[in-house]
Amino acid sequence: MTVGPLIVLAFAALTLGVVVGRRWPRLWLALTLTGAGAAIVASLAVLFGAVDWEWRGAFRLGGEALHLRLDGLSAIFLALVGVLGAAGAVYAREYWSDAHYPASAPRGRAWWSALLLSMMLVLTLSNGLHFLIAWESFAIAAFFLITLDRGQRAVRSAGWLYLAASHAGTLALFAFFALLAARTGSWDLGPMRDQAALQPLLWLALFGFGVKAGLFPLHVWLPSAHANAPSHVSAIMSGAAIKMGVYGIMRFSGWLPAPAAAGWVVTGLGAASALLGIAFAFAQGDLKRLLAYCSVENVGIIMVGVGGALLARADGDAAWGRLLLAGALLHVWNHGLFKGLLFLGAGSVLHATGTRQMSRLGGLWRKLPWTAGMFAIGTLAVAGLPPLNGFVSEWMVYLGLFDAVTSRGASAWAAIFAALMLGTAGALALASFVKAGATVFLGAARGKRAAEAHESGRTMVGSMLVLAALCVMLGLAPTLVWPALARGVAAWQPAWPVAPVPQSLQAIGGAQLTLAVLLVAAGLFAWRRLRGGVARRAMTWDCGYAAPTARMQYTSASFAGIVGGWFRWILRPELALRRPRGLLPLRAFRLERFPETVLDVVIAPVGGLIMQTASGARRLQHGSLQAYILYVVAGLVALGALVLTAGVR
Amino acid sequence: MMIVVSFLARLAWWLLLAPLLPGIINKVKAWVAGRRGPPVLQLYYDLARLWQKQVVMSTLASPAFIVGPAVAWVAVLGATTMVPLGPAGATLSFRGDVVLMLYLLALARFATTWAAMETGSAFEGMGAAREVSYAVLAEAAMIAAMLTLAVQTGSVSLATMLAPSVGTSAVLLAAGLFTVLLVENCRVPFDDPATHLELTMIHEVMVLDHSGPPLAVILHGASLKLLLFAVLLTQSVLPMGTYSPAVAAAVLVAGVLAVTVGVGAVESLMARFAFRRVPLLLTTSVLLCVFALLVAWQGAA
Repeated sequence: MTVGPLIVLAFAALTLGVVVGRRWPRLWLALTLTGAGAAIVASLAVLFGAVDWEWRGAFRLGGEALHLRLDGLSAIFLALVGVLGAAGAVYAREYWSDAHYPASAPRGRAWWSALLLSMMLVLTLSNGLHFLIAWESFAIAAFFLITLDRGQRAVRSAGWLYLAASHAGTLALFAFFALLAARTGSWDLGPMRDQAALQPLLWLALFGFGVKAGLFPLHVWLPSAHANAPSHVSAIMSGAAIKMGVYGIMRFSGWLPAPAAAGWVVTGLGAASALLGIAFAFAQGDLKRLLAYCSVENVGIIMVGVGGALLARADGDAAWGRLLLAGALLHVWNHGLFKGLLFLGAGSVLHATGTRQMSRLGGLWRKLPWTAGMFAIGTLAVAGLPPLNGFVSEWMVYLGLFDAVTSRGASAWAAIFAALMLGTAGALALASFVKAGATVFLGAARGKRAAEAHESGRTMVGSMLVLAALCVMLGLAPTLVWPALARGVAAWQPAWPVAPVPQSLQAIGGAQLTLAVLLVAAGLFAWRRLRGGVARRAMTWDCGYAAPTARMQYTSASFAGIVGGWFRWILRPELALRRPRGLLPLRAFRLERFPETVLDVVIAPVGGLIMQTASGARRLQHGSLQAYILYVVAGLVALGALVLTAGVR
Repeated sequence: MMIVVSFLARLAWWLLLAPLLPGIINKVKAWVAGRRGPPVLQLYYDLARLWQKQVVMSTLASPAFIVGPAVAWVAVLGATTMVPLGPAGATLSFRGDVVLMLYLLALARFATTWAAMETGSAFEGMGAAREVSYAVLAEAAMIAAMLTLAVQTGSVSLATMLAPSVGTSAVLLAAGLFTVLLVENCRVPFDDPATHLELTMIHEVMVLDHSGPPLAVILHGASLKLLLFAVLLTQSVLPMGTYSPAVAAAVLVAGVLAVTVGVGAVESLMARFAFRRVPLLLTTSVLLCVFALLVAWQGAA
């Protein structure tokens, strides 16, 4: 099947989905799945076929002819949007059902289709003006999805923060596309690597898309938006929507000539995002905020790959650049899959217990065995551990960095720095997810809600299963996706020769498969031996406690205490403490909250200053006619003075 | 046929020799303290005894409590396949295997801490939190050490990275890696494997609730990890590739023995650090490895 009709089918199905979403949920689901499926097939056809798809229409919108394009780079992102769009739509049937949310569920369906449609348009439109229109509708659709549950104050403020940050980024993009059009003389987008004058524009794109991608320190909107949105929305926001920012950075760093410093800046920002993102994640006590901050880390890993590729391109097209970019592209997929899975798992926990606070949960594996199993798979993947998919992409990035170091060029220093940061961030990611998984699912229930939880239904578990299966598949057979990655790399820099599957990647694939078989065999052996009557159950021994209670368990805050101390300079925890006093202390507590430091320390004061200036300026407008006449007279006098002095000269 | 034999020989080295190391350490400690101490083969007896015992499992624990130690053991064993054994070489060798080795050790850490958290015990939570927190700095030191070797040799595969010595930076690297060995294997001054009921421990406290065969697997896995680090340290400091096979084998054995005795000596002569001083020592080890990297960079230029 050719790509064109599939794209048309996807667009048509999703457009229809916007219309019918409110009334007919079943038809809407069928349309969404059709649209997402068509998009996936189309992108796979481009990735594993040999040619890009391009279409120019005669139809004009805003004076510009329609121009659609799907190449190796955009197809990678399109496939991800399709997968998460379908999984989230199925999941929402139960999670955000009409029965529970009669007002917002129908609205949510319509906006879901609108979000998928606008993201697909962003990925395919190849005209600056149309790109901006699609980008803006994407931002607005996401806003309405985040604020589906707008009765809650936290949700509304998260939504506004998102909208404000998103528009700050869009403003930079307006400037970027307008300047691009002014300098090239056309809104049409495409490769323009030979026009050296366009170099500085990349900074604007980096800022504009960086806000959407959640790159540190532009991530201020991300934690609250992803934590407060309904979980299926968080899944697609973290999995696919922030990847639109990544797409923008990759797309235009590929199409435009890059300034010499770009590689250094992107690598540095990526490394900083990776380390600080995960440090913030580790400190959080809210499960979904933890996941959201972890997205900042993963975008950082992707950006290290992109920055490395830029360095390689400046360094005479070094071979390690290809590996780094391929690793970044694979991590786009991997992060989308495992973070989608984790957010859906968090949604299942929230659905069952009604709280995101990890310190109120615990012991959920017994009540939610499927969710616990799927979440554990996601945990292994996000910590970058073999034999799952997260390891493969991180390994590719590491290998690229090691190769850059051994090449001993100037970029080696950036690579050394990035490798050290990634190693630290990787260990912190492991710590964060041991904490999250263990506090939520292991031990004893810390409250009534956790004790009375129930497993989610088939549709929710089913959509998690699909994502988990994809995580396992990409982990065990990384060589299968190499052609797709090579296509993405070729779209970014056509001058680089298309490499066959590297031998080391084959070796990793074999090692992952062997390891998986061994692990499953060892696990089964251990469990069978145990089931064979060897085990006796008893209370947790714990050095001989007679009556341990659930409240004596280690909490998420105590687990993160040591590392939280190391990062105190940037985490800036807010502490509310009441020590036990007297012989029979009745009340004692310790509450620790980790606010968003960049927001509180940088953005809020600057915003306050702007508000003050604006309120000051407002005093000029007070409705007194005499004063307005005075303004007019003063203005005329000033103009007259200007004309006179100019005339003298 | 030769491949199978050499594979089995390497496997035997790793699996059979590993439990010897804790025995040697304990012997050294006893000798310094003027005691007779347990036999060198004590861990072998313990393992055989534990393997036949029953398991008592916490009522809170899920199957992962039992599966965790098995996963950790397989992961460490997997990591050993990529570490060359002097003239015998490595079972598995490819570009970038060094990253796989590091992440397999991370997988073992994940499985151990996950299993510890299964019991809902505050002690084991403490141990797990310390384990993953100190690993953050240890991981940075390991990456820096591996980058040093990569810069020195221009290779990213352990088998070739470990063949020559790192020259002038060897002393720095040895100090850094030895510190990492101590923390990764939970030895003094980071942890005290001799006490079992202290609040101040890392590894021992994580396995408080394990018993029977799973505990045997944990103990064997821990000794395997110690052997792995000892082999890694010996080979990254000494120019193994320049010796003849017989000499290289002897040097490897002597090196591992020296490291083991060194661990025992440190344990006899030092007290465990206060916990707030641990990060300081770990940061020092990171810096040592980073300086080794800088020296190697200069030396290789």
